[in-house]
Amino acid sequence: MSNQQRAILEVDQLSVSYGPFEAVKGVSFTVASGEIFGLLGPNGAGKTSTLSAIEGLLRPQGGQINVAGFSILQQPLHAKANMGVQLQSTSFQAELTVAEIIRLFAGIYGKELTPEEVEEKLVEINLQDSGTKRFGQLSGGQQQRVSLVISTIHDPQLVLLDEPTTGLDPQSRRQLWDRIEAIKAQGHAVLLTTHSMEEAEAVCDRIAIIDHGRVIAIDTPEALIAAHRNDPDVIAVSRKGKITLEDVFIGLTGRAVRS
Amino acid sequence: MSALLRADFTTLWRNRRSLRLVLLVPVVIVISWKGMVNMMGGAYVLSGGITIGLISIGLLGYTNSIARDRDKGVFQRLRVGPVAAWTIMSSRILVQIATIMAMTIAIFAVGNLVDKIVLPPLGYVTGFFAAVLGGALYLSLGQLIVGLIKNPETVNSTTRLVYFIFIMVGMLGNFGVLGDVVKESIQWSPYGVVNRVIATALQPETWNLQATYALLATLGYTVIFGVLGIRFFKWN
Repeated sequence: MSNQQRAILEVDQLSVSYGPFEAVKGVSFTVASGEIFGLLGPNGAGKTSTLSAIEGLLRPQGGQINVAGFSILQQPLHAKANMGVQLQSTSFQAELTVAEIIRLFAGIYGKELTPEEVEEKLVEINLQDSGTKRFGQLSGGQQQRVSLVISTIHDPQLVLLDEPTTGLDPQSRRQLWDRIEAIKAQGHAVLLTTHSMEEAEAVCDRIAIIDHGRVIAIDTPEALIAAHRNDPDVIAVSRKGKITLEDVFIGLTGRAVRS
Repeated sequence: MSALLRADFTTLWRNRRSLRLVLLVPVVIVISWKGMVNMMGGAYVLSGGITIGLISIGLLGYTNSIARDRDKGVFQRLRVGPVAAWTIMSSRILVQIATIMAMTIAIFAVGNLVDKIVLPPLGYVTGFFAAVLGGALYLSLGQLIVGLIKNPETVNSTTRLVYFIFIMVGMLGNFGVLGDVVKESIQWSPYGVVNRVIATALQPETWNLQATYALLATLGYTVIFGVLGIRFFKWN
């Protein structure tokens, strides 16, 4: 973290349990302003539970989460006001138009948008002709763009993106990467989860690999590859002789398919 | 809250076709019971129509919209914003209360124009508030159903079943068609107590101890259903 950067998200010794099952066991990491941080892990590793706890959707059994200095447990509304969230499967009221949805969420974050300002937002995401359409009438890529603009409508310090490019074609995915990098360029901290190692390598400044509820590696993608280049488990799964982030990921988390 | 209310009212307006269907049944009942006005009194006819309208709104309107939006993740999206859970639910309930008010006024108007029912002004006022109170009971019953059942299709079929039972058993039982025991039981059911409170409130000069008991029972049902409905409700 450079001198100009400051920690926007601080997760310290986070623990989440579902009955006797411990989904997250003492996870700690920070995300700084102007940083894109990737949270990677196989299915059931604890990513979603970690993210849900940060979003305030579930109450952890232990640990601390601070967003822009506000505890999500003690000051949830202040913490939520400083973060923008794009959920994995976003859904809005089916009866509302795209313009109405943008106005609704701006209002929730305390911003009253004029029709002109709503139009500007639509132009920003190349949906100027779709303001009167219902959300369900948009394509997957268009829906993701709407979700992204809503998650940043209040200029939050932290943006959480849960598998933002799942199901998108390469063009839409590249466009979304550009938008994520633009969010970073504005000084926002970005935490994203993804199953795409290509995406993590392409856009993340640092990543944490989480497995069985614990962070097992945390660093820049390049540093992780360099650190595990000679690991026998990583070499064993590498293809075509070149070590990639995916090789490191599979080497560290195992070949077994998780349910 | 204002942004949520605006969105929820817009949603209600866009669903006006289903809203019309919800209002249609009580209006048809009030029109078809025109012949009973002289026999049973105008307050009886109006209270019957309003009670059925309240059941429609509480069970078919509110419950199904909550179950559907929960299933689609609409609530999760709202809850990650800086908005308290009670605000989200209050906005939904306020929209339903507005619907209840509109339905009650529509029943009063149809009763007056078609059935020529004329009540003293105070009767309309107290009847109006009794309708809102009765509506709270059915909203809390809807909350209980959506709290206990997670699947939206199962919620839909359950509310339709409960709606049908309430209307058929409630109306027929109240008429005495199903025997005295059922008639007595119906009077203390959610259908019976709401019906009695509204009917008596429409004629405030006839308020008696039985009406007070029915009012207390209405409040009791509302609190029990509401507390259990909130206790068991899951947002996702």
